[in-house]
Amino acid sequence: MMQQGPEWTWLDTRETITMAELSQVCGLSAAELVELVDYGALAPLGEPREADVFSATWVAPLRTAGKLRQDFDLELFSVAMLVGYLIRIETLERELKAARAQLPAFARYQ
Amino acid sequence: MKYKDYYATLGVAPDADLDQIKKAYRKLARQNHPDMSKAPEAEAKFKEAAEAYATLKDPEKRAAYDELGRHPAGEEFSPPPQWQSEHSTQGGGFDDLDLADLLAALGRGHGGPFRSRAPMPGRDFETHVSISLENAHRGTSIDLQLQDGQGERTLQVTIPAGVTDGQKLRLRGKGGKGGKGSGGGPDAANGDIYLQIALAAHPVFRTDHHDLYFDLALTPWEAALGAEIEVATLDAPVLLTVPALTRSGRKLRLRGRGLTIASELGSRGDLYAVVHIDMPATLTSREKELYLELSRVSTFNPRASKP
Repeated sequence: MMQQGPEWTWLDTRETITMAELSQVCGLSAAELVELVDYGALAPLGEPREADVFSATWVAPLRTAGKLRQDFDLELFSVAMLVGYLIRIETLERELKAARAQLPAFARYQ
Repeated sequence: MKYKDYYATLGVAPDADLDQIKKAYRKLARQNHPDMSKAPEAEAKFKEAAEAYATLKDPEKRAAYDELGRHPAGEEFSPPPQWQSEHSTQGGGFDDLDLADLLAALGRGHGGPFRSRAPMPGRDFETHVSISLENAHRGTSIDLQLQDGQGERTLQVTIPAGVTDGQKLRLRGKGGKGGKGSGGGPDAANGDIYLQIALAAHPVFRTDHHDLYFDLALTPWEAALGAEIEVATLDAPVLLTVPALTRSGRKLRLRGRGLTIASELGSRGDLYAVVHIDMPATLTSREKELYLELSRVSTFNPRASKP
Protein backbone atom coordinates (compact mmCIF):
# COMPACT_ATOMS: atom_id res chain seq x y z
CA MET A 1 0.00 0.00 0.00
CA MET A 2 1.30 3.42 -0.88
CA GLN A 3 1.98 5.97 1.78
CA GLN A 4 -0.28 8.97 2.00
CA GLY A 5 1.25 11.85 0.07
CA PRO A 6 2.19 14.33 2.80
CA GLU A 7 1.76 17.26 0.47
CA TRP A 8 -1.97 16.82 -0.07
CA THR A 9 -4.53 18.84 1.77
CA TRP A 10 -7.80 16.92 2.09
CA LEU A 11 -10.59 19.37 1.44
CA ASP A 12 -12.97 17.81 3.93
CA THR A 13 -13.78 17.92 7.61
CA ARG A 14 -10.40 16.63 8.73
CA GLU A 15 -8.61 19.85 7.70
CA THR A 16 -9.10 23.47 8.66
CA ILE A 17 -8.22 26.68 6.88
CA THR A 18 -7.69 30.21 8.16
CA MET A 19 -9.67 33.13 6.89
CA ALA A 20 -6.56 34.63 5.26
CA GLU A 21 -5.91 31.47 3.27
CA LEU A 22 -9.56 30.91 2.44
CA SER A 23 -9.64 34.45 1.09
CA GLN A 24 -6.61 33.77 -1.08
CA VAL A 25 -7.82 30.47 -2.53
CA CYS A 26 -11.40 31.62 -3.20
CA GLY A 27 -10.67 35.06 -4.62
CA LEU A 28 -12.90 36.72 -2.02
CA SER A 29 -11.59 39.35 0.38
CA ALA A 30 -11.64 38.81 4.14
CA ALA A 31 -14.30 41.53 4.41
CA GLU A 32 -16.42 39.66 1.85
CA LEU A 33 -16.00 36.41 3.78
CA VAL A 34 -17.15 38.19 6.95
CA GLU A 35 -20.18 39.43 5.01
CA LEU A 36 -20.92 35.86 3.89
CA VAL A 37 -20.75 34.81 7.56
CA ASP A 38 -23.19 37.62 8.37
CA TYR A 39 -25.56 36.32 5.68
CA GLY A 40 -25.34 32.85 7.21
CA ALA A 41 -23.80 31.45 4.03
CA LEU A 42 -20.48 30.60 5.68
CA ALA A 43 -19.78 29.45 9.22
CA PRO A 44 -16.49 29.48 11.13
CA LEU A 45 -15.69 26.49 13.30
CA GLY A 46 -16.26 28.35 16.53
CA GLU A 47 -16.37 31.71 18.13
CA PRO A 48 -14.90 33.87 19.39
CA ARG A 49 -11.62 31.94 19.71
CA GLU A 50 -11.79 30.36 16.25
CA ALA A 51 -13.91 32.93 14.49
CA ASP A 52 -11.43 33.02 11.64
CA VAL A 53 -10.90 29.27 11.24
CA PHE A 54 -13.06 27.28 8.87
CA SER A 55 -13.49 23.68 7.83
CA ALA A 56 -11.69 22.91 4.56
CA THR A 57 -15.04 21.69 3.20
CA TRP A 58 -15.80 25.34 2.39
CA VAL A 59 -12.97 25.61 -0.12
CA ALA A 60 -14.63 23.86 -3.07
CA PRO A 61 -18.06 25.57 -2.97
CA LEU A 62 -16.51 28.97 -2.26
CA ARG A 63 -14.05 28.61 -5.12
CA THR A 64 -16.87 27.62 -7.47
CA ALA A 65 -19.10 30.46 -6.28
CA GLY A 66 -16.18 32.91 -6.45
CA LYS A 67 -15.46 31.87 -10.02
CA LEU A 68 -19.11 32.20 -11.04
CA ARG A 69 -19.15 35.61 -9.42
CA GLN A 70 -16.21 36.66 -11.55
CA ASP A 71 -17.59 35.03 -14.71
CA PHE A 72 -21.03 36.66 -14.39
CA ASP A 73 -20.07 39.79 -12.43
CA LEU A 74 -22.44 38.83 -9.60
CA GLU A 75 -23.11 40.73 -6.39
CA LEU A 76 -21.87 39.23 -3.14
CA PHE A 77 -25.38 38.37 -2.00
CA SER A 78 -25.77 36.19 -5.10
CA VAL A 79 -22.56 34.42 -4.04
CA ALA A 80 -24.14 33.77 -0.63
CA MET A 81 -27.16 32.18 -2.33
CA LEU A 82 -24.95 30.19 -4.70
CA VAL A 83 -22.85 28.71 -1.90
CA GLY A 84 -25.98 27.38 -0.22
CA TYR A 85 -27.29 25.84 -3.41
CA LEU A 86 -23.91 24.35 -4.38
CA ILE A 87 -23.63 22.63 -1.01
CA ARG A 88 -27.21 21.41 -1.28
CA ILE A 89 -26.62 19.98 -4.76
CA GLU A 90 -23.49 18.17 -3.62
CA THR A 91 -25.25 16.77 -0.56
CA LEU A 92 -28.16 15.51 -2.67
CA GLU A 93 -25.82 14.01 -5.28
CA ARG A 94 -23.96 12.18 -2.53
CA GLU A 95 -27.18 10.88 -1.01
CA LEU A 96 -28.42 9.76 -4.43
CA LYS A 97 -25.18 7.86 -5.08
CA ALA A 98 -25.39 6.23 -1.65
CA ALA A 99 -29.00 5.20 -2.26
CA ARG A 100 -28.10 3.76 -5.66
CA ALA A 101 -25.17 1.84 -4.18
CA GLN A 102 -27.47 0.19 -1.66
CA LEU A 103 -30.18 -0.81 -4.12
CA PRO A 104 -29.79 -4.14 -5.90
CA ALA A 105 -28.93 -3.75 -9.60
CA PHE A 106 -32.31 -4.92 -10.88
CA ALA A 107 -34.09 -2.27 -8.81
CA ARG A 108 -31.98 0.67 -10.00
CA TYR A 109 -33.08 2.91 -12.80
CA GLN A 110 -30.31 4.09 -15.05
CA MET B 1 -0.33 44.04 -31.93
CA LYS B 2 -3.75 43.11 -33.25
CA TYR B 3 -6.72 45.34 -32.57
CA LYS B 4 -9.78 43.79 -30.92
CA ASP B 5 -13.18 45.43 -31.23
CA TYR B 6 -14.53 44.97 -27.73
CA TYR B 7 -17.76 46.84 -28.48
CA ALA B 8 -18.50 44.54 -31.41
CA THR B 9 -17.65 41.50 -29.28
CA LEU B 10 -20.33 42.49 -26.77
CA GLY B 11 -22.68 43.77 -29.47
CA VAL B 12 -23.02 47.25 -27.96
CA ALA B 13 -22.55 50.75 -29.35
CA PRO B 14 -19.32 52.62 -28.48
CA ASP B 15 -21.37 55.05 -26.40
CA ALA B 16 -23.16 52.30 -24.46
CA ASP B 17 -23.51 52.96 -20.75
CA LEU B 18 -22.29 50.56 -18.06
CA ASP B 19 -25.70 48.98 -17.55
CA GLN B 20 -26.00 48.17 -21.25
CA ILE B 21 -22.49 46.74 -21.27
CA LYS B 22 -23.15 44.62 -18.20
CA LYS B 23 -26.43 43.31 -19.59
CA ALA B 24 -24.86 42.44 -22.95
CA TYR B 25 -21.98 40.67 -21.22
CA ARG B 26 -24.19 38.65 -18.90
CA LYS B 27 -26.33 37.53 -21.82
CA LEU B 28 -23.27 36.30 -23.73
CA ALA B 29 -21.77 34.76 -20.58
CA ARG B 30 -25.00 32.90 -19.90
CA GLN B 31 -25.06 31.55 -23.48
CA ASN B 32 -21.42 30.53 -23.68
CA HIS B 33 -20.25 29.72 -20.17
CA PRO B 34 -18.50 26.32 -20.12
CA ASP B 35 -20.91 25.14 -17.39
CA MET B 36 -23.91 26.00 -19.56
CA SER B 37 -22.88 25.23 -23.11
CA LYS B 38 -20.97 22.33 -24.59
CA ALA B 39 -20.82 23.88 -28.08
CA PRO B 40 -17.25 23.59 -29.39
CA GLU B 41 -16.75 27.34 -29.82
CA ALA B 42 -18.59 28.36 -26.62
CA GLU B 43 -15.54 28.57 -24.36
CA ALA B 44 -13.62 30.74 -26.83
CA LYS B 45 -16.64 33.05 -27.19
CA PHE B 46 -16.99 33.24 -23.41
CA LYS B 47 -13.33 34.20 -23.04
CA GLU B 48 -13.63 36.86 -25.74
CA ALA B 49 -16.67 38.35 -24.03
CA ALA B 50 -14.98 38.24 -20.60
CA GLU B 51 -11.90 39.98 -22.01
CA ALA B 52 -14.03 42.70 -23.60
CA TYR B 53 -16.07 43.17 -20.44
CA ALA B 54 -12.98 43.34 -18.19
CA THR B 55 -11.91 46.42 -20.15
CA LEU B 56 -15.22 48.12 -20.86
CA LYS B 57 -16.59 47.89 -17.29
CA ASP B 58 -13.56 49.72 -15.91
CA PRO B 59 -13.67 53.47 -16.68
CA GLU B 60 -9.87 53.84 -16.70
CA LYS B 61 -9.29 50.87 -18.96
CA ARG B 62 -12.19 51.83 -21.20
CA ALA B 63 -10.78 55.36 -21.61
CA ALA B 64 -7.36 53.90 -22.47
CA TYR B 65 -8.96 51.52 -24.95
CA ASP B 66 -11.03 54.30 -26.54
CA GLU B 67 -7.83 56.30 -26.88
CA LEU B 68 -6.66 53.72 -29.42
CA GLY B 69 -9.44 54.80 -31.79
CA ARG B 70 -11.50 52.38 -33.86
CA HIS B 71 -9.85 49.92 -36.21
CA PRO B 72 -11.13 46.87 -38.02
CA ALA B 73 -10.87 43.81 -35.76
CA GLY B 74 -7.61 41.97 -36.32
CA GLU B 75 -5.84 44.98 -37.84
CA GLU B 76 -2.24 45.51 -36.76
CA PHE B 77 -1.78 48.70 -34.78
CA SER B 78 0.75 50.34 -32.45
CA PRO B 79 -0.19 51.56 -28.98
CA PRO B 80 0.36 55.27 -28.31
CA PRO B 81 3.97 56.31 -27.70
CA GLN B 82 3.31 57.18 -24.01
CA TRP B 83 2.19 53.58 -23.38
CA GLN B 84 5.45 52.41 -24.88
CA SER B 85 7.56 54.66 -22.64
CA GLU B 86 5.62 53.76 -19.51
CA HIS B 87 5.62 50.07 -20.22
CA SER B 88 9.32 50.06 -21.04
CA THR B 89 10.08 51.00 -17.42
CA GLN B 90 9.24 47.36 -16.76
CA GLY B 91 12.07 46.42 -19.06
CA GLY B 92 9.81 44.83 -21.64
CA GLY B 93 8.41 45.73 -25.01
CA PHE B 94 5.02 45.14 -26.58
CA ASP B 95 6.14 42.23 -28.69
CA ASP B 96 5.21 39.56 -26.16
CA LEU B 97 1.93 41.12 -25.06
CA ASP B 98 -1.48 41.30 -26.58
CA LEU B 99 -4.06 43.99 -26.04
CA ALA B 100 -5.71 42.16 -23.14
CA ASP B 101 -2.40 41.83 -21.23
CA LEU B 102 -1.68 45.49 -21.76
CA LEU B 103 -5.08 46.66 -20.58
CA ALA B 104 -5.09 44.21 -17.66
CA ALA B 105 -1.82 45.78 -16.51
CA LEU B 106 -3.66 49.07 -16.13
CA GLY B 107 -5.64 47.61 -13.26
CA ARG B 108 -2.52 46.56 -11.40
CA GLY B 109 -0.53 49.78 -11.77
CA HIS B 110 0.23 52.24 -9.00
CA GLY B 111 0.91 55.78 -10.05
CA GLY B 112 0.87 54.92 -13.72
CA PRO B 113 -0.49 52.32 -16.04
CA PHE B 114 2.52 50.04 -16.10
CA ARG B 115 4.69 51.03 -13.17
CA SER B 116 5.42 48.92 -10.11
CA ARG B 117 2.90 46.33 -10.98
CA ALA B 118 2.58 43.53 -8.44
CA PRO B 119 3.75 40.15 -9.68
CA MET B 120 0.92 37.88 -10.74
CA PRO B 121 0.28 34.82 -8.57
CA GLY B 122 0.67 31.49 -10.30
CA ARG B 123 -2.33 29.93 -11.96
CA ASP B 124 -4.37 27.29 -10.16
CA PHE B 125 -5.26 24.10 -11.98
CA GLU B 126 -8.53 22.29 -11.39
CA THR B 127 -8.74 18.80 -12.72
CA HIS B 128 -10.75 15.59 -12.37
CA VAL B 129 -9.23 12.14 -12.39
CA SER B 130 -10.96 8.80 -12.56
CA ILE B 131 -9.24 5.93 -10.76
CA SER B 132 -10.19 2.35 -10.15
CA LEU B 133 -11.66 1.26 -6.87
CA GLU B 134 -8.62 -0.93 -6.22
CA ASN B 135 -6.30 2.05 -6.70
CA ALA B 136 -8.40 4.18 -4.38
CA HIS B 137 -8.10 1.43 -1.79
CA ARG B 138 -4.37 0.93 -2.08
CA GLY B 139 -3.19 4.33 -3.32
CA THR B 140 -1.70 4.95 -6.73
CA SER B 141 0.43 7.25 -8.78
CA ILE B 142 -0.93 9.27 -11.70
CA ASP B 143 0.43 11.68 -14.27
CA LEU B 144 -1.27 15.06 -14.49
CA GLN B 145 -0.90 16.96 -17.76
CA LEU B 146 -0.69 20.68 -17.00
CA GLN B 147 -0.72 23.41 -19.62
CA ASP B 148 0.44 26.86 -18.61
CA GLY B 149 2.58 29.74 -19.75
CA GLN B 150 5.67 27.55 -19.63
CA GLY B 151 4.04 25.04 -21.99
CA GLU B 152 2.80 21.56 -21.25
CA ARG B 153 4.35 19.62 -18.40
CA THR B 154 3.67 16.35 -16.69
CA LEU B 155 3.49 16.13 -12.94
CA GLN B 156 3.51 12.74 -11.32
CA VAL B 157 1.54 12.70 -8.09
CA THR B 158 0.71 10.05 -5.55
CA ILE B 159 -2.94 9.59 -4.75
CA PRO B 160 -3.06 8.51 -1.13
CA ALA B 161 -4.88 5.34 -0.12
CA GLY B 162 -8.35 6.00 1.19
CA VAL B 163 -9.77 8.55 -1.24
CA THR B 164 -13.50 8.20 -1.86
CA ASP B 165 -15.71 9.06 -4.81
CA GLY B 166 -15.91 12.87 -5.11
CA GLN B 167 -12.93 13.43 -2.78
CA LYS B 168 -11.33 16.83 -3.27
CA LEU B 169 -7.64 17.37 -2.68
CA ARG B 170 -5.38 20.38 -2.88
CA LEU B 171 -1.71 20.29 -3.75
CA ARG B 172 -0.15 23.54 -2.66
CA GLY B 173 2.35 25.37 -4.79
CA LYS B 174 2.44 22.83 -7.62
CA GLY B 175 0.36 24.88 -10.06
CA GLY B 176 1.61 27.67 -12.31
CA LYS B 177 4.74 29.58 -11.29
CA GLY B 178 4.18 32.90 -9.55
CA GLY B 179 5.46 36.05 -11.24
CA LYS B 180 8.90 37.42 -10.43
CA GLY B 181 8.94 40.32 -8.01
CA SER B 182 10.31 43.57 -9.41
CA GLY B 183 12.78 45.90 -7.69
CA GLY B 184 13.85 43.29 -5.16
CA GLY B 185 10.26 42.56 -4.15
CA PRO B 186 9.16 39.04 -3.32
CA ASP B 187 7.96 36.67 -6.03
CA ALA B 188 4.27 35.91 -6.12
CA ALA B 189 3.13 32.55 -4.75
CA ASN B 190 2.89 29.59 -7.08
CA GLY B 191 -0.57 28.36 -7.92
CA ASP B 192 -2.14 25.20 -6.50
CA ILE B 193 -3.60 22.06 -7.99
CA TYR B 194 -7.16 21.11 -7.08
CA LEU B 195 -7.98 17.53 -7.82
CA GLN B 196 -11.37 15.87 -7.69
CA ILE B 197 -11.38 12.10 -7.60
CA ALA B 198 -14.01 9.99 -9.31
CA LEU B 199 -14.10 6.24 -8.81
CA ALA B 200 -14.59 4.37 -12.06
CA ALA B 201 -17.58 2.03 -12.16
CA HIS B 202 -16.59 -1.42 -10.90
CA PRO B 203 -18.07 -4.58 -12.40
CA VAL B 204 -18.97 -5.97 -8.95
CA PHE B 205 -18.81 -3.33 -6.22
CA ARG B 206 -20.63 -0.06 -5.69
CA THR B 207 -19.39 2.48 -3.17
CA ASP B 208 -20.91 4.66 -0.50
CA HIS B 209 -18.04 6.52 1.14
CA HIS B 210 -15.80 3.71 2.43
CA ASP B 211 -18.45 1.01 2.32
CA LEU B 212 -18.85 -1.35 -0.61
CA TYR B 213 -22.04 -3.00 -1.85
CA PHE B 214 -22.59 -5.88 -4.23
CA ASP B 215 -25.58 -7.94 -5.29
CA LEU B 216 -25.88 -11.44 -3.92
CA ALA B 217 -28.35 -13.60 -5.81
CA LEU B 218 -29.77 -16.49 -3.79
CA THR B 219 -31.94 -19.41 -4.73
CA PRO B 220 -35.23 -19.59 -2.83
CA TRP B 221 -33.96 -22.60 -0.84
CA GLU B 222 -30.65 -20.87 0.02
CA ALA B 223 -32.66 -17.93 1.35
CA ALA B 224 -34.96 -20.27 3.26
CA LEU B 225 -32.44 -22.72 4.67
CA GLY B 226 -29.32 -20.55 4.89
CA ALA B 227 -26.03 -21.20 3.11
CA GLU B 228 -22.33 -20.55 3.09
CA ILE B 229 -21.36 -18.82 -0.12
CA GLU B 230 -17.94 -17.80 -1.37
CA VAL B 231 -17.94 -14.12 -2.32
CA ALA B 232 -15.31 -11.88 -3.87
CA THR B 233 -13.78 -9.05 -1.81
CA LEU B 234 -11.05 -6.53 -2.62
CA ASP B 235 -8.66 -9.03 -1.08
CA ALA B 236 -9.13 -12.80 -1.26
CA PRO B 237 -12.56 -14.44 -1.58
CA VAL B 238 -14.25 -15.19 1.75
CA LEU B 239 -17.08 -17.41 2.95
CA LEU B 240 -20.24 -15.47 3.73
CA THR B 241 -22.79 -17.06 6.01
CA VAL B 242 -26.33 -16.48 4.80
CA PRO B 243 -28.67 -16.99 7.74
CA ALA B 244 -31.79 -19.08 7.29
CA LEU B 245 -34.95 -17.13 6.38
CA THR B 246 -33.03 -14.31 4.68
CA ARG B 247 -35.37 -11.91 2.96
CA SER B 248 -34.79 -10.18 -0.38
CA GLY B 249 -33.22 -6.74 0.07
CA ARG B 250 -31.46 -7.71 3.31
CA LYS B 251 -27.88 -6.45 3.62
CA LEU B 252 -25.36 -8.91 4.99
CA ARG B 253 -22.29 -7.20 6.38
CA LEU B 254 -18.67 -8.28 6.14
CA ARG B 255 -17.02 -5.99 8.65
CA GLY B 256 -13.76 -4.31 7.65
CA ARG B 257 -13.81 -5.55 4.03
CA GLY B 258 -14.52 -2.13 2.49
CA LEU B 259 -12.19 0.66 1.43
CA THR B 260 -9.25 2.01 3.40
CA ILE B 261 -10.15 4.93 5.66
CA ALA B 262 -7.28 7.36 5.32
CA SER B 263 -8.01 9.29 8.49
CA GLU B 264 -8.00 6.18 10.69
CA LEU B 265 -4.84 4.14 10.41
CA GLY B 266 -5.57 0.52 9.52
CA SER B 267 -9.28 1.12 9.48
CA ARG B 268 -11.58 0.08 6.66
CA GLY B 269 -15.19 0.43 5.69
CA ASP B 270 -17.53 -2.56 5.48
CA LEU B 271 -18.63 -4.77 2.61
CA TYR B 272 -22.35 -5.42 2.20
CA ALA B 273 -24.01 -8.16 0.20
CA VAL B 274 -27.42 -6.95 -0.96
CA VAL B 275 -29.58 -10.05 -1.21
CA HIS B 276 -32.06 -10.74 -3.92
CA ILE B 277 -33.81 -14.03 -4.41
CA ASP B 278 -33.72 -15.22 -7.98
CA MET B 279 -35.80 -17.72 -9.91
CA PRO B 280 -34.84 -20.05 -12.73
CA ALA B 281 -36.17 -19.16 -16.18
CA THR B 282 -37.94 -22.54 -16.38
CA LEU B 283 -38.79 -25.32 -13.96
CA THR B 284 -38.29 -29.01 -14.53
CA SER B 285 -41.32 -31.18 -13.88
CA ARG B 286 -39.74 -32.41 -10.64
CA GLU B 287 -39.04 -28.87 -9.43
CA LYS B 288 -42.60 -27.90 -10.24
CA GLU B 289 -43.85 -30.91 -8.32
CA LEU B 290 -41.82 -29.89 -5.25
CA TYR B 291 -43.05 -26.30 -5.40
CA LEU B 292 -46.64 -27.57 -5.65
CA GLU B 293 -46.03 -29.72 -2.63
CA LEU B 294 -44.60 -26.72 -0.79
CA SER B 295 -47.57 -24.58 -1.72
CA ARG B 296 -49.88 -27.19 -0.30
CA VAL B 297 -48.12 -27.52 3.05
CA SER B 298 -46.99 -23.93 3.68
CA THR B 299 -49.17 -21.45 5.54
CA PHE B 300 -46.93 -18.52 4.69
CA ASN B 301 -48.71 -15.50 3.21
CA PRO B 302 -46.43 -12.55 2.48
CA ARG B 303 -49.45 -10.30 1.83
CA ALA B 304 -51.06 -10.95 5.18
CA SER B 305 -50.97 -7.94 7.49
CA LYS B 306 -48.05 -8.16 9.87
CA PRO B 307 -48.49 -7.69 13.61
